[in-house]
Amino acid sequence: MIGLDTALGEITLVLFTTLAPAGAMALLLMGLPILSGRASWAEVRRISTYLCLPLIVAMVGLVASATHLGSPANALYVFAAVGSSPLSNEVLCAVVFLMLGGLYWLYSFHRAPSPRLLRLWIGAIDLAALAFIASVGLAYSARTIISWNLWEVPAAIAANALMGGPLVALAGYAAGRCASLTNRRARHLIALAAIALTANVAVYGLQGVDLGNMGNAVASATDLVPAYGAAVAAFALLGAAGIVVAWRTTRNLPTDGTPPADAGRFRLVGRLCAAAALSLAAIFVMRFCFYLAHLTVGLGV
Amino acid sequence: MAQLAFYFDGTRCTGCKTCVFACKDKNNLDVGMAYRRVWEYTGGTTEKGADGTCTTSCFSYYTSVSCNHCDKPICMANCPQGAISKDDETGLMAVDADSCIGCGTCANACPYAAPKVDPETVKAVRCDGCADLVAAGELPACVMACPARALKFGDAEAMAALGERGATAPLPDPAETEPNYFMTPTADARAAGSSEGFIGNPLEVA
Repeated sequence: MIGLDTALGEITLVLFTTLAPAGAMALLLMGLPILSGRASWAEVRRISTYLCLPLIVAMVGLVASATHLGSPANALYVFAAVGSSPLSNEVLCAVVFLMLGGLYWLYSFHRAPSPRLLRLWIGAIDLAALAFIASVGLAYSARTIISWNLWEVPAAIAANALMGGPLVALAGYAAGRCASLTNRRARHLIALAAIALTANVAVYGLQGVDLGNMGNAVASATDLVPAYGAAVAAFALLGAAGIVVAWRTTRNLPTDGTPPADAGRFRLVGRLCAAAALSLAAIFVMRFCFYLAHLTVGLGV
Repeated sequence: MAQLAFYFDGTRCTGCKTCVFACKDKNNLDVGMAYRRVWEYTGGTTEKGADGTCTTSCFSYYTSVSCNHCDKPICMANCPQGAISKDDETGLMAVDADSCIGCGTCANACPYAAPKVDPETVKAVRCDGCADLVAAGELPACVMACPARALKFGDAEAMAALGERGATAPLPDPAETEPNYFMTPTADARAAGSSEGFIGNPLEVA
């Protein structure tokens, strides 16, 4: 397969673009009860502590992306091209998001954190998370790379985040035994993931149509990703499996958010983590296809 | 000194690839790495008529390409490190190895597939127009080595006077990056973006 070298060479970026947007969206969703001001103080502390789960998901993605660099120690130069290079913008947004998230998490362990500050801070993290997800979507918009410079690329990144993020957030709530994990909230988050999955399948379908008409002197996009249709089918199946597992796991949750006993808690966390992993695996498949499809005008594959 | 440019005479090139090996020798490039490549664009069919005679529409021609030191270098525009520079005096492109992190953005964006990431150093590498030779008043190694004198190098204005800006298949539309690459196409040459032919030597240019 012609583009396999490109995709395997960028496997850590496949991992980054799979994990980081979903982690950022999960953090945003998990923090909503704090932002809205409806959570009790004990719940605020509990959610704040367990925000580490989506933060770790995003952080693992970022660390993975750094491992494909030959000289990551020199990466500070990256800020010199902010504004002109989409990749620099992405790195800046990632650093701001992770710094805000990490410092929030550390501050949440303060003996008496300010509730107002926590709320404002969560708001700032949410804005940074949205900017970060947008910047990941736009990081590949170079006009010469015809197979990447498509409207479907940022749309799919956003939909990926909305598909994986809610399930990671559910796992985070469950791990923290948060009262916010009510039957109603779980249904809302799963519905969000299901809508995002549906939208994403449509976006990938349209992207497949675009790719079908695309080629340069060296290869056509269909040469590069011959199993694109099968990959979209695998994406839909894995994504749907994640949603079904999450729905079956949470359908009998109490309406008042009473946390389950320890024995039930481990099963709940394990099954919700499995649901999130299925969703992330679905995203991984399509991110791999994205790098397989690298094609410029002229001579680049 | 003004912007420098390559000129390629497609009517002279025999596809011998001496330019490729002169470049590899000068830059001490190992197997699997080349800054200059010769692309063979080929196509057409041969058919036997009812009277037993054969007619053919077959064509094949060569294009020798390295970095074209473009006026709108997309590699430089997209480099997140600002590690790629265009010399004010000569217009030749260069990579600052100290600030390059080997992310491959330049290699991904270039429509001529000119920059590469060296797998050993994990840094971007590319044709620098033999800037050292040029500074010493000489010509790039590929130009000096070409036995058919199909390659020339000099001020962009002078090179532009010899031919048109490279716009034949398999090259991209020159409007993308405005390459400082001028050429005289062969009679068989197809326009950029043509789908009449294909790359006839994919393993040589991989």
